[in-house]
Parts: sequence; C-alpha cells; structure tokens
Amino acid sequence: MSNKAGTAAPSPAPAATPAFDAVTLEVLWTRLISIVDEAAKALARTAFSTLSNEANDFACVLTDERGFLVAQNTGSIPSFIATLPSTVKHVLAEIPPAEMKQGDIYCTNNPWQGTGHLPDVCVVKPIFHAGRVVGFAASTSHVPDIGGKIRSVEPREVFEEGFHIPIMPIVREGRPDSGFWKLLRTNVRTPEQTVGDIEAQITALNLIEHHTGTLLSDYGLPRLTELSDELSGRCEGAMRAALATIPDGTYSYSMNTDGLSREAPFTLQVKLTKKGGAIHADWSGSSPQQARAINCPYCYTFAMTAYALKCALLPDLPNNEGVFKPITVEAPERSILNPIFPAPVGGRSNTGHYLPVVMFGALVQAIPDKVMAATGSPLWNVTQSGVRPDGRPYANNLFFNGGMGATPVKDGECTTSWPSNISSTPVEVAERISPFYIAYKRLREGSGGDGAHRGGLGQDALLVSESESPIAVVFLAERTRIPPPGMQGGKEGTVGAIVIRGENMDTRFQYVLNKGDTLLVRTPGGAGYGDPARRDAAARARDKEMGYTA
Amino acid sequence: MPAYALGIDIGGTFTDIVVYDQETGRHFNRKVLTTHADPSQGTLAGIRLLIEEDKLRPEHFVRVVHATTLFTNALIERKGAVTGLITTEGFRDTLEIGRERKFDLYDLNIAKPEPLVPRNLRLEVPERLRPDGSVRISLDEAAVAAAADRLVAAGCTSIAVLFLHSYINPAHEDRALEIIAARHPGVALTASHDVAPEIREFERSSTTVCNAYIKPMAGVYLERLATEIARMGIKAPLFLMLSSGGLTNVEEAKRTPVRLLESGPAAGALAGAFFGGMEGENRVLAFDMGGTTAKLAVVDDGEPLVAYAFEAARQRRFIEGSGLPVKISTIELIEIGAGGGSIAAPDEIGLLKVGPRSAGSEPGPAAYGRGGMHFTVTDSDFMLGYLNPGFFAGGTVPVHMDKVEAAATATAKAAALAPVQLGWGVHDIVNENMAGAARVHIAERGRDPRTYTLLPTGGAGPVHAYYVAKKLGIRRIVAPQAAGVASALGLLMAPAKVDRVGSVNARLDELPWAEFEASYARLEGECRAVIAETGLDPRRAEVRRLADLRCVGQAFEVVAVLPPGPYADAKAAAGIHEAFAAAYRTKYTRPPPNVPLEVVNIRVSVSCPVTEKRMALAAGAPPVGGKAQKGTRRMYWLELKDYAETPVWDRYSMRAGDKVNGPAVIEERESTLVVGPGAFAEVSAAGNLVVTLP
Repeated sequence: MSNKAGTAAPSPAPAATPAFDAVTLEVLWTRLISIVDEAAKALARTAFSTLSNEANDFACVLTDERGFLVAQNTGSIPSFIATLPSTVKHVLAEIPPAEMKQGDIYCTNNPWQGTGHLPDVCVVKPIFHAGRVVGFAASTSHVPDIGGKIRSVEPREVFEEGFHIPIMPIVREGRPDSGFWKLLRTNVRTPEQTVGDIEAQITALNLIEHHTGTLLSDYGLPRLTELSDELSGRCEGAMRAALATIPDGTYSYSMNTDGLSREAPFTLQVKLTKKGGAIHADWSGSSPQQARAINCPYCYTFAMTAYALKCALLPDLPNNEGVFKPITVEAPERSILNPIFPAPVGGRSNTGHYLPVVMFGALVQAIPDKVMAATGSPLWNVTQSGVRPDGRPYANNLFFNGGMGATPVKDGECTTSWPSNISSTPVEVAERISPFYIAYKRLREGSGGDGAHRGGLGQDALLVSESESPIAVVFLAERTRIPPPGMQGGKEGTVGAIVIRGENMDTRFQYVLNKGDTLLVRTPGGAGYGDPARRDAAARARDKEMGYTA
Repeated sequence: MPAYALGIDIGGTFTDIVVYDQETGRHFNRKVLTTHADPSQGTLAGIRLLIEEDKLRPEHFVRVVHATTLFTNALIERKGAVTGLITTEGFRDTLEIGRERKFDLYDLNIAKPEPLVPRNLRLEVPERLRPDGSVRISLDEAAVAAAADRLVAAGCTSIAVLFLHSYINPAHEDRALEIIAARHPGVALTASHDVAPEIREFERSSTTVCNAYIKPMAGVYLERLATEIARMGIKAPLFLMLSSGGLTNVEEAKRTPVRLLESGPAAGALAGAFFGGMEGENRVLAFDMGGTTAKLAVVDDGEPLVAYAFEAARQRRFIEGSGLPVKISTIELIEIGAGGGSIAAPDEIGLLKVGPRSAGSEPGPAAYGRGGMHFTVTDSDFMLGYLNPGFFAGGTVPVHMDKVEAAATATAKAAALAPVQLGWGVHDIVNENMAGAARVHIAERGRDPRTYTLLPTGGAGPVHAYYVAKKLGIRRIVAPQAAGVASALGLLMAPAKVDRVGSVNARLDELPWAEFEASYARLEGECRAVIAETGLDPRRAEVRRLADLRCVGQAFEVVAVLPPGPYADAKAAAGIHEAFAAAYRTKYTRPPPNVPLEVVNIRVSVSCPVTEKRMALAAGAPPVGGKAQKGTRRMYWLELKDYAETPVWDRYSMRAGDKVNGPAVIEERESTLVVGPGAFAEVSAAGNLVVTLP
C-alpha cells in the first residue's frame, strides 16, 4: 500500500514451491486464520464494552516480520482492511526490531497511523521465535470513550477529539508502563471500560503470539516470511486474474454528498485506471480538507476503496497482503480523503462510507453485473445527553440504518448496515436506557428507488421525550440532502430526514428536546438498479400487496 | 421383570429405534428409513418390528422418549402453517427490520432470511406497556378481534401475538389470546411471553413466530404418535426431548414445539456426556461426524453446555447470523461442513479445500459406485487404508476402489499433488477444519482443549478422532459401542432433566422474598411432577436453582447457578450476589462492576438418574469371541510418512481389559476406530474403547 501513485509489479505466476503444496498451505492458513479467530473470540468475550462484544467493532491480525498481513479475523469490519498491517509498518519505522524485546507491546491511536480516528486503539506485539522477531500480533478496537468531544462533527482540530497516543510502548518486557495507564485513565470518561477493552486486546495478542510460536515449532518453520510470501503471491495472483477480466481503460465517477450546508455539498470523485492485472484509484478532484470532523484519513480511504474492489471481484477469499497488492490508491494531500495533521477526523466514516458507492459508480461502466446501486448509508447515529433525575449526567447512542442498494440480480435489503455492520438498539432496550418513548419503528414505505431491481427500504422511527429535564441531541446523519443515485436506469432512493416537532431540521446542529417533543428519524432508502420498465410484474404486484411501495 | 425404555430418534435419513432394559443394561435397536411424508408411519412400523422380532412385551415398557428433527426441517423447507402475527401498533415490521446487520460482509447479493410471516399477515393493534410493565395505552380489544378475523379470513391456521414489554407484564397478550380463542377455537395460538419471556423484541418475535409456524403440524403429529403407541399396549406415556436436553410431556410439546428444534443433536451430546462419565471423564468434547456435517458439543462437569439462544434454518448453513434467531435453552453445539461425503477440490488460489460441498448419501463418495465422481473424505479414508473395502457398513455396501483411484487421480492432478499427498492431505485438512472450529469454540468459552477427552460417534467420528485429538493436544479418546445409535441411546441413559423458567424483573435488593421463594417452589413442584410422570422416582431427583442476573444498567444477563433454597429473607441475597460474581468472572474474566443487581428470570433444573446402578451397556448379543485380530492391511501413518502393514482388530471379539497397541484399527459395523503409532487402546470394564495418545 502506498500513499503515492505506484507502478504495479508484473503479475507473478503463483508457483507451488516444494515446501508449500496445496495441502500444507491449506492446513497452515486454516490454522493461522483459526488463531486470529480464536483471539477475536477471546477479545469479544473479555471486552467490557458492547462495541466489541456486540458490534464487532474490532480486528485481530497476524503479520510477518515485515508487517505484511498473513491472517485477519473473519468477522472484522471493512474499516480495518489493511490498516493494522500499515500500523505495524509504522511501528517498525519508529522502533527497529533490534530494539524490540520479548513481552513488549506498542500502542497508538494516531488517526493517520491507526484506523483514521482516535477511539480505535491499536496495539502491536512482536512475536519472538528462536530469539528473533518473526512477526507481529496486532489488534484494533473501538473503545467506549477516549475523551474529547462526544461524537459530533463539531471539532476543528484533532486536539479536541480526545486522548492522543503516539506510537509508544505501553508494556515493556511484560511489565505495564504505569505512567501510560495512569494518563489514559485520567483522560477518558469511562476509565474502567476503556482500560478493560485494551486489556482484552492484550489477551488476544498473547494468544496469537503463543499459538503462532506453537505452529512454527510444529511445522519446523524458522519464520513466517516464506509462508507469507507463498500465500500472498497466490492471493495477489487471484486478484490480478480477477482484475484482468475488467477491460483496460479509465473509468471515472463523481458524486456530491450532503456537505456541511445545502449551499456547499462535498464532491467525491474517483478515476480508476485499470491496466492488466493492476488498478489505480485516483481521488483527485474530491473536496478539500474541512475544518470539521468529517475528514477521512488516507488509511480509511484505502480501506474503503479496496473494500469495494474485493466485494466486486473476490468476495470469498480471506484478507491477506497479496489481495490488496494490485490495488494502488492516491488522494491529494489536504483533501477530504487525505487530510493532514491536525485535521479533525472523528466522523471519518460519514465521508468514508460513501467511497464504495463512488467506486461502484465507476466500476459499473466496466463490470455492470458485479456491483451494487447506492445504499442509504452511512450509518445514522443519534447521541443524546442530559441529566438524570438523580442529577447524574448521561449520554446514549442509538443507531439506525437505511436500505441497501439493488444489484443486477436482486432488490436491496431493507434497513441494513453497509458498508459497516452495526446493529440497531432494540426498542425495548432503548426505552430502558434512554428517556424516550418510541411510538413506532417501521419500514419507510416507498423509500426504495424503483428499478428492474428495487432499492431496500429505510425506516421511520418516532421518538418522544419523556424527560423532565431537557435532552441535547446531536446527529451523524447523511443523505438528507442528496439522495443515493440510481444505477443503469434505476431510480434514486429517498433522502433521509431528521424531523423535530414536525419540522425538517439541519442535521449538522445540536438541538434541545423538552418533555413531549417528538423526534422523527427517517433513514434513506437504497437506490434502484436497471430500468424500472424491466421490473418483473409479479415483483411489482408483490411490492404493492406488501406495501413496500406506495 | 424387564423395565424397557424406548428411544425414538428421527433424523433426516434414518429413524433410530432403541430399547434399553433399565434392569439389565441390555439394548436392542433398529434403523429404519425416515418416512418423510408422515414420519410417525416409519416410526410405528419400526417399533412393531422390534417388539415382534425381539419378542418384547408392550406392558414391560416403562418410558418412551422421542427426539426429532421434523420441526427443524419444516423451518428449513418452509413447510409450516400459514401464520399471522398480531402486534403492538407501530411495530409490525420488527420481524423484517431485524437487527440491521449482515452475516456476510463482502457479498453484495446478500439475502437475509425472509420472515416466516409476510408483511400483509402482520397486523397491528393499539396497546402499549411501559418498560416497567405499567399500561400506557390499554388494549383495544375490538381491534384484536378484527385483526384475528382478518388473519383467519386470509387463511391463517396459526396466530402469534407479540406486544412490546410483554416479558414483564403478560396481561395484554393473555387477554388477546382469550379474545382470539373465543372467536376462532381451531386456530393455534402462541403468545410471546409464553415462549420467550425475554427483553429484545426482534429475537422474541422471531422465536414466537417460529413456534406458531410449526405448532399446527406438531399438534397433529404428536397426538397421532402418542395415540398409536398407546394402542400397541405400551402404557408408559410419551416424552419428548427438548433442545436443552430436558424432557417434556406431549401437552407441553404441543404448546411450545419451538423448544424441540434441536432435540436430536441434544440427545447426541447427552450420549457423549454419559459415555464420558462412564469412564470418569467430566470434561468431554462430543464429536459426531456423519455423512455431511460434524457436530461438536462441549461437556463440562459431566453436562453439555447450555446456551440460551440459537439460530434455526440458516440461510447459509455454516454461517453465523444467517438464520432465524430462537431464544430457547439449547445444548450448545457447533456444526461444521465436514463429513464423509465432503468433497475435495482446489480453490481459486490453488489451495485444496475439503467441504462444505458434500456428495451426501446420493450419489455419495466415489467409492459407493453410484455415480459420484468427486474425491471425498470417505474416499481418502479408503485410500489411506483406514476403512475396509470388504467390511463397509458391516459389509452391506460394496466399495469400488477403482472409482476411488479414478477420482483421486483427477483431483490430484487439478491440485498439483501426488496421489498419496492427496489422500493424506484430505484427511489432514478435514481434521484441521474440525480442530480449528473446536479451538475457536472452546476459546469462546475461555477453556483449554487439552483438558478434554474426545468422544467420537457417527460413522466417520472414530475414523477421524485420532488425528483431530492430536491437533487439539487431547490425550484421551473414549469410543463407545454402537457409535451409530449412540445418540438414540442418549435419550434413554442420560438423566431425565426438566427445566422451568419464570420472569421476575426486580432488583435483588428490593425482592419480595416470600413471593420469590414461592415462585421457585412452584417451578420445582412442576418439574418434580414431570419427572414422576416419566416413570422415575422424583425422590432421587436433584434440584438446581439458577437465575438470569445482570448489573443494573447493563444490557446483557449472566445465567448463574444459585445456592440451594429455600430463600427466607435478604440473607439469601449475599449468596446470590456471590453466585453472580462467580459466573461473571468465568464469562468475562473480570469481576463485575460494583452496582446493584437485577433478577431478570429464574430457572429451575431438576434432574433424576435413570437408575442408581452404574452399569455397563451390555450388548444385545453376547460377545462373539474368537480371534480378535482379523488380519492386516496397508495403512498410511503420518508419523512414518509412509504406508505400513497394520493390524486390523474386530471389536466384537474384544473383551474388557484387551489392549491394542497402535498403529492399528478396530472395526465394528458402523465405524472403524483409528489408533495411531505410539498410542494404545484398551477395552474398559464398561465396554468402551479408551485410547491413550502418546
């Protein structure tokens, strides 16, 4: 992965070396993936916060000594594609292997070296075998709180967004650095949970370290490098072969998104250059860096670009260094897709989740049968804060999702998180933990874009404040001004809306709700695919009978 | 006088019928083909056959226990009743909105499971409870009547009712059921609080609707089976195995058939726990490998782990999250796409994959000579010499080694392997798949696989157990007799267990103790009554109290085993708190935060051993005797990296105390136990083969 335009290496033919035949490789890779999956289960089980144990907002990986990805846990969300190997490479650049000691653990949440925002804490542990570093166990996890302003686009600089950890050892030769932990505890709202989650990550790293050592001993391997190269080479070959099916050429697409005001939408623009077994995505022409927390650091831009290509071309292959080698991504510095320090980045997903949609807009020109129309994402989030009757302050998040886009073969799924994978909060739970009465939560009829295949429906949820004291609400909500565009003649999905006391509101501001005030959350519908005239009559009749369309 | 217990286990292909004499330990069994159109026909014919051929007297039967995958199949094949749903105004889409997550991150054409009730059969009525159970909007009874009429007019024969927060106050659901029952007495009714009295409306809806969907067919089927068995002169009442491994009577099973969904696998896990227990093992990994899948269940302290949720009818069979959530207690097991029929083929990057694609039983592995062209796990087991081409399924299935070789040659070429590499490779890969799944599953429970004993059943289990155990670092394998019908035996030999759950939703420090104790006592009384009905002595029963507890403010519960009752006053609270802390530490490896506790549900589990005698499982016929070693065969051994002439033993000729040194295989009709170099196997006093690994 490179920050600059790279020239793709010629496609190497995947050759079976005598040491790694089809069986040995399969057994070893299965074992390595089961090691990181086992670590992920241990992390989820021991983590304190529901972000880890219910929303899967974490990842565990094993890299070789160069930081090349060998195995990534199966359920980890797209945001973490290629980010941890990149973090390991940043660690290697700062701390030479000769200075690493067995039992060291390094940490960072630097948005540019980590995953793009501060709440994702990354930890890296060198794996020693026969006295030398042979690889790294690494993990990232969204901790419940990292200090700073609570989820909103308000911050002007990353300094406002929370406790910033540069690459540094937090455990040395097995001994925790007490100074670090004390500082961390002091700077976050939920010290027990934040520290508890990082400890859960460390449990996972120890497990990866131990099991990898056992595997190397069992199979008499001195290090991971050769195995990593063999797997990576084969995966790279598969990705290049898949890319080779796309006609050589240049494919461009530009899409406007809500922006900070109606007058000034953001532009996200990509130019794909496909040649042989390589593809280059150039995001030049996208909007400049913003003084609000909706900037998307390069690592996240890469992850979302690569995610779109993997969905379209190689959905079944587990993630590994080679899968992403034929993909180069370029985004101009100081743009919204490659902001520089100290730009605020907390809401990076609000911008980044649009990128796969832009990618499909370009790819549909080349591979129309392998993409999806625009979704009603990004994820919507309603954060409320206030004071409980007993005087204690509280804050709560409620998540809502829009509809998925239609594809060449089927209607879009209704109310489904994409590209992320975050569950909504059950109404019965939401009514217990928040001061809202939820009068309804239902499919938003008619919100899916028409087409040969229809977009998935968004939802309507009506929240009524029951709080004696005022509640402050802030939103992360997109597609309230510019709808998800249709594809191949399909129609656009319906825009979302935040309606307070019956009135459409600008979602970039904070509002105060008093007792009895209503808040209607209307998430966007997905876009349609293909000419509506080609929609199957039976499907159309069923839509009407079921009330999916008006 | 004999005291026969009759076990009936209806699976996808075969129905196993087992009779076990609780006095002598003798057992008889029959395998008959499952009659899919009406499974009771095959079952009843099988029972008649067994009674006639083995000259058993119907009046000697004291227990009848039944497990079935019938209802699970109805969900998978979507062959249940036309079902309607009546729910709180504003929430008819709960079932379709779901949890808003994907089970596959990269599949753009992902399709979540269709709700069992389509949108036009989901109707809303005005009513609403608050989270504390108080009434916000009273039930609109006329609307309930109108909705029910509409659903019945639309052809519904079963109606589910779910109102928000009914887990804490069932009054509205109860009243709605009364209204509907009065108007439509023939319609099957299910109220959510009766099936899954738990917070989280989507999971509760899904469970309620699953129950409603299978309820009419369950009623007809169970009624007929019970009547016909009684007509044969068998006086003992019919009992059903629940997914939790507990027992229930016909009336309850008809009311909440959703609790029977995993009854077959539960019986298998119980069998694993039982046979492990015979050898003094209380940590057992029950490993059942058949034709298309392998199932693994963890047994701790002699009991299979119980989970309080599972998924039915997965869209993609082995993918978590792709099924219909069902909140019932169920024996926790994982299913892997690894069986004798699993097909080996190189994938897109040239790695050899084994499964989950399966040749099934038709056409089956190449070896069967029924047109199967793919190289499968069973074929590799023949190629490696582990299976005997002349004695497959006791010699009843002819084996075509030429077809095995042809398939091997083609697959080896495609994967750029030498044939011998392929043969061992397939064995090794399928074992790694199962070991990997076991490791992840056991890690999720915070346990170490090396502390377990492996207990293989199913046709392929004993063949693969040895190298799976090696991969997991397991040192001991216990292979019971009759691996093929072990699961049906589990129905009869495992202790009878009856579970009850009740909803409480109160803070521990504010509990009305007299009422709380009375609730436990009532559940215990109900459990003991069922135990007595099954023909066992409830005085021997062991009672356990459990509770779903959580920290106030947390959204998840922990099920803790509580100190025995009675609970007279707040003094009991300390013990309950301690029990919660222990369960919390086990699950999350840290102490719980220091906040007040909430009691969400109470649970009672009463179990009663079938017999006080710890007896051996006697064979139906006396040991054959004669020469135990049948001969030798060339077999491949990893440790030798080569084929070697290896002894073949006859299990039916082996007696307690007989020892076999590895490498060796021990053959019986249903399966073959592989014992690797350096290991040794011994027939235990209880009749099991116990393998100690080097």
